[in-house]
Amino acid sequence: MAMTREEIAEKVQEILVDALGVDDDEVTEEATLMGDLGAESIDFLEIVFNLEKAFDIKVPREELFPAELASNEEFVADGKLTDAGIDKLKSAMPHLDLGDFESDPDVNKMSDLFTVASIINFVEGKVN
Amino acid sequence: MRWIWIDKFTEFEPGKRAVSIKNVTLAEEHLHDHFPGFPIMPTSLMIEAMAQTGGILVGYERKFKEKVILAKINKATFHDIVRPGDQLTLEVVIDNIADEAASITGTIKCGENTIADIKMMFSHIDNNIAGMEFPEENFVFNDQFMGLLRFYLPEGTMDNFS
Amino acid sequence: MKFVLIDKITELNLGSSLKAVKSVSLAEEYLADHFPDFPVLPGVLMIEALTQAAAMLVHATNDFSHSMVTLAEVKNAKYKSFVKPGNTLKISIEAKNIDSETSSFKAEGTCDGKSMVEARLQLRHFNLADKDSSLADIDQKLKTELKKRFQLMQI
Repeated sequence: MAMTREEIAEKVQEILVDALGVDDDEVTEEATLMGDLGAESIDFLEIVFNLEKAFDIKVPREELFPAELASNEEFVADGKLTDAGIDKLKSAMPHLDLGDFESDPDVNKMSDLFTVASIINFVEGKVN
Repeated sequence: MRWIWIDKFTEFEPGKRAVSIKNVTLAEEHLHDHFPGFPIMPTSLMIEAMAQTGGILVGYERKFKEKVILAKINKATFHDIVRPGDQLTLEVVIDNIADEAASITGTIKCGENTIADIKMMFSHIDNNIAGMEFPEENFVFNDQFMGLLRFYLPEGTMDNFS
Repeated sequence: MKFVLIDKITELNLGSSLKAVKSVSLAEEYLADHFPDFPVLPGVLMIEALTQAAAMLVHATNDFSHSMVTLAEVKNAKYKSFVKPGNTLKISIEAKNIDSETSSFKAEGTCDGKSMVEARLQLRHFNLADKDSSLADIDQKLKTELKKRFQLMQI
C-alpha cells in the first residue's frame, strides 16, 4: 500500500510523541532524536516496535541503531568514522542526509544525523 | 517487607497473555504507613505487581535464561484507590518481544472496577547493556525465584522445562 | 516496613521545585529479594520516591489543604542504571503546574551526577470528606501526620 510522505510523517510524529513524551510541535523534521528529543536506547526499541506495527514493516536493528556502527573497531579510528565506516553508513542507512558529516566524521556527531526526517525517509523507503 | 507482589497466576498463555491475582491485606506492614489511619495500596507497588506479572510471562519465552529488567514505564494511569480486603486481578498482554527488549500492556481490576492501565517495557539486559554493570549470573530469575515459581503458575506450565 | 522513600528535603521553592535525597542501605529488607545476589533499589520505589517528593511540594505549596495527594499518572519513566546500597539518590522535582486539585511535574533522580531515572508525574489532591463527610476526622489526623513528617524531613 503506497502512502504519501505526509501520511507517513503524521504517523511517525505520533509514534515519537508517544515514545519520547515530547509535544507535537517539538517533533519537527530537523529535530535530532537524541539531542533534541532525548531518545535513549530503550526508546529506540519502542520506536522500532511501533514503526513495525504501524507500517507493517521489518526494521533490522543495524539500519536504525547508530550505536552498533560506532562500537565496531573496523569502522572507527581516532574517534572518527573511517572511509569504510562512511561507506557502511551510506549503504546501511541510505535514508540519512549526511550533509557536512563526511568532511568531519566525528562519531560524537553521528547522533545528529538521526533526525525525524531520517525516520520518515527510512519508512518511505520501506513502505513504497 | 518481602518483594513479591503477586500471589499466583490464574491464567498463563505462553507468549501471549497472563492473569494473576494479588490480595491486599492489613497484615502488610507498609499499608499502616500509607497512610496512617487510611491504608491504601501504593500505586508504585501496583506497577511492580504488573511488572512481575509481565516480567514472568516475558521471562518464560526465553526459558528464564534472560535477565528481564523493567526499563521504561511508558504510561501508568490510576483510576481508583485499593484498600485492604480488595483482591486485584492483573491481566497482561505481550505487545512485542525481541532479542533486546519486550513491551506489554496491562490492566488492573478490582471486581469490575478498573483500577489502573499500564504500558511498560522490559530490557533483556545482556543484549541491551547501555553502559550498565551487573553480575553475569541470572540475578533476576534466581534459585529462590525458580523455587517459588512452581507454586505460582497453573499446573503443567513448567512441564516442558528441563 | 515503613513506607517513607525520601530521607530529607534539601531545597524547597514553594510552587516551583523541590530537591530531596533517598539513601539506600542494605538494612532495607526488600533488598534481600530484589535481588538476593544483586541488591538494588527497585525501579518502582524510585517512582515512589519521586511521587512522595512531588507530593510534599504540593502539600507545602497548598498549605496542607488536602489530606491525600496521590499518583494519577506516570509517563515516560526511564531507568538508566542501578542504584545500589551505599548510594544516595538525589531527587529533583520541577512543577509544571500546581492547581488546587491536580498538579504535574518533571522529575529526575541522579547518583554521583549521573541520571538514574526520569519521569513525568501527575498527582491528584483530595480530602476523604469530599466523598464521605464522616471521614473528616481522618483527614485532620492525616494532615497532622503529614506536617510532622514534613518538619522531620527538613531538620
